[in-house]
Amino acid sequence: MQAMLEAAIWFWIPLILVPIGFWLVVSSRAEKGGKILGIIGLVLVMASPWTVPDSDSSAAGHLLLAILGPTILMGYGLHGMVFGGEVPVGKLDNSARWSGALAVISSIFIMGLMHWSTFTPIWRGQVNPYWIVFWPTFLMFGTSLCSAASVALVGFGEDRDREATNLVIASIFLASIAFVAMFIDGPNTSAAEFRTHLWSAAADILGTVAGVGAAIATFAIVIWTYERSLPDPENTPPPSEDEIKHVVSLAKAHLDGGEEE
Amino acid sequence: MKQARTSWKVLFLAILLPILVLVTINITIGNTHSAEAFKRFGNALLTSYIVMGILLLGNLIAYADSRHRPAAPLVGMLAAIGVGVLLAGALVSNSDLLLEANSGIRAQILSNIVRLLVSGTAMAIAGLLAVGLTFAAITGRPRRVLFYEEE
Repeated sequence: MQAMLEAAIWFWIPLILVPIGFWLVVSSRAEKGGKILGIIGLVLVMASPWTVPDSDSSAAGHLLLAILGPTILMGYGLHGMVFGGEVPVGKLDNSARWSGALAVISSIFIMGLMHWSTFTPIWRGQVNPYWIVFWPTFLMFGTSLCSAASVALVGFGEDRDREATNLVIASIFLASIAFVAMFIDGPNTSAAEFRTHLWSAAADILGTVAGVGAAIATFAIVIWTYERSLPDPENTPPPSEDEIKHVVSLAKAHLDGGEEE
Repeated sequence: MKQARTSWKVLFLAILLPILVLVTINITIGNTHSAEAFKRFGNALLTSYIVMGILLLGNLIAYADSRHRPAAPLVGMLAAIGVGVLLAGALVSNSDLLLEANSGIRAQILSNIVRLLVSGTAMAIAGLLAVGLTFAAITGRPRRVLFYEEE
């Protein structure tokens, strides 16, 4: 009972704080407070391996903490790559593009080392069980989205063949990493294990996308049904004499424009 | 106006194709699918539906603020989430359908949420990478002149 209570206080309640923070930010009621709440929740979830080491759920917090570094590096790199290019505002130095590309490649390289080297997230003396969930899902979804972005650029853009080719190369690069992981063992994870989890990753991606799509569709149907049930708005009555006088007085007060200094 | 040279169907295929290729290679080398993959699909679908529904419920409260706080959409959305919860509970309590290697319903539900947290993070980071690379590719070329000034 004590263990469950600790897990609730140090893992589940902080995890719930993240969507609450998101709600507050989206609703613009307490934008700053929402961001602070969300960040506190996320930090506490990442700290759960220390606060509630006995809970199995802490493995997820441990994994999030393990991938935080490469993710920040990736974000930094992408920012440099985008704003080091031809942007109308906030342009960075041209070298930001190359340093950004290097940062993105390094972040993926570090994740690769987590699979094929001794950088693998270790939890309770074994490979973090969620690492083998994260890695194939990231690779599979990444290659899928890059492929879709490439087709979208060619199809909806104009003269974007070169950019689309770059995205195809990125897609093939991510798929190649997955392909290599299917055949080459790491010191802590085996290729057979990766191949088994590839099925789960595909199921996770398709299931999550379908579930999110169904929720959004339900949300749209609920709003649409409600809006359709509303009566047509009534015509407003014409302005009264007093209202017309008030509007005219306001207009007159602003027609003059004042004296020039 | 420029005609689009692709359709949503082709885009959908472009999303699915890499996944299908990797899965096909996996099958070719002898890793056939297991019942666990179907269970994972079902669990991921129901969990993401419920969690996303709860997130959208928050947006519905913000929407209600601009509509004299109607109760009908909130009740409708709660009912839709309730159906998802009941369905998940019913399917998980049947050991052959959605229960994975967990001790019971509560353990399975908590495991589903944690797993969604991890796979959702993986998908979000992959999304960040794909969107970032797309914009990096677009801004990588000098801006084209759209309008020439008349002399």
